[in-house]
Amino acid sequence: MELNNSKIKIKAKNLNVFYGKKQALFDINLDINQKEVTALIGPSGCGKSTFIRCINRMNDVIDICKVEGSVEIDGAEINEKNVDVVTLREKVGMVFQKPNPFPKSIYDNIAYGPIIHGAAENKNQMDNIVETSLKKAALWDEVKDRLNEPGTSLSGGQQQRLCIARALSVNPEVILMDEPCSALDPIATAKIEELIDDLKKSYTIVIVTHSMAQAVRVSQKTGFFHLGKIIEVDSTEKIFKNPANKMTQDYITGRFG
Amino acid sequence: MSGTGHTVKSYEEEMQSLNDNLVMMGSLTESQMADAMAAVIKVDKDSVDKIVKNDGKINELRSVIDNQITTVLVKRAPMAVDLRITISTMKISHDLERIGDLAKSVAKKVKPLPVDLPDELIGSLRRLGDLVQKQLKDALDAYLNKSKDKAIEIWKKDEQVDDLTNLAMNEVATYLQKDKKNLEMATHLLFVTKNIERAGDHITNIAESLYYLIEGEYLEGARPKGKPIES
Repeated sequence: MELNNSKIKIKAKNLNVFYGKKQALFDINLDINQKEVTALIGPSGCGKSTFIRCINRMNDVIDICKVEGSVEIDGAEINEKNVDVVTLREKVGMVFQKPNPFPKSIYDNIAYGPIIHGAAENKNQMDNIVETSLKKAALWDEVKDRLNEPGTSLSGGQQQRLCIARALSVNPEVILMDEPCSALDPIATAKIEELIDDLKKSYTIVIVTHSMAQAVRVSQKTGFFHLGKIIEVDSTEKIFKNPANKMTQDYITGRFG
Repeated sequence: MSGTGHTVKSYEEEMQSLNDNLVMMGSLTESQMADAMAAVIKVDKDSVDKIVKNDGKINELRSVIDNQITTVLVKRAPMAVDLRITISTMKISHDLERIGDLAKSVAKKVKPLPVDLPDELIGSLRRLGDLVQKQLKDALDAYLNKSKDKAIEIWKKDEQVDDLTNLAMNEVATYLQKDKKNLEMATHLLFVTKNIERAGDHITNIAESLYYLIEGEYLEGARPKGKPIES
């Protein structure tokens, strides 16, 4: 299903996921291009969040969850036993639906990851990481004079950008976003979308969204999931102007169910 | 998943109303074109005012459709086939409105024409009018049936419209050469011919919009054009 000459960053092959006896994903084959935004759409429970949680092995933390099949990043299998998930999650950051800053200062929220990964040798280096990460997340100007205030004191939109900055602080290559704007007002949403546009120059982004308009605005490629299967993947323009699959069309035009 | 109608009923009703208004507009335009052609051929000066007046109804419907489309765009942010229906309906309604205007212009030219219009002058013009009316009827039928093949056929047939236009103009030019006193009448008839030909162009636009609506792609390549006749 490769669309152009872009390099494939993530390759899912025959991916099946089970929660106990219930199968959540069925034979997912999906290529995610480097330095592009891929949007995943589909009704609630269709498996799109389960899918992105396979990319940084977040499903490992769920005891009853079993993952079969392959996910490769840059051609290397991430489900091998010898893969260190901490290193994997350093490479593949994640931003969730609800902003979830740590109950720490703005500064410490950003510094937390680099400390764990031993990324800074001294205070100067850490200051530099914090500033760079906040700048990349377009938050620096708003918080530079209050870095010691709690992260939770920020507005919802700012908190979400703080979480993005936190993900960026460990120099990831991939950023997974699970409905990152669903709790935000249109202005905060616009700021995140502007940020996504900017971040895609340096990072591979996979975003799960329930907003069709958002998928159209931010992504270059869109995948439609339904009942744990991937129904159609194509350029975002094709999916929203002239999808090949009737089920996709019914979903995006509001003829579903 | 029904796959038939929108989950939101009012959305479904809005799209249906848009369709109904476009069909009504098409039907009025068809009548106007037929009446205008009949008025020319019969030099029926009495019918002109009615044709001119009826054009207002077509314009009104276009305004209604424009408003409906703005509402659908802002309320529904239509996607995929709905987006294509919305865009195509807007374009088709504008083409129909222009065809209506051209029919009105044709009718207005009847008033200064002599009642005893020589047959040799209107042979090709009559055929041209018949062909363009057939094209319009076919385009509206194709819209109702969402027929891609018919849309292509109409699009290609515009070549015949061009050929007949050249023929009709040539006939008028030949007549004019016989006697320069015919200048005024000839000028009016040339305008009539040209207006009908332009109506034909708008019909091919409709065929193109319809093709896009159905296929989600644009008709590719240059439309076949009739060759000008050397006089």
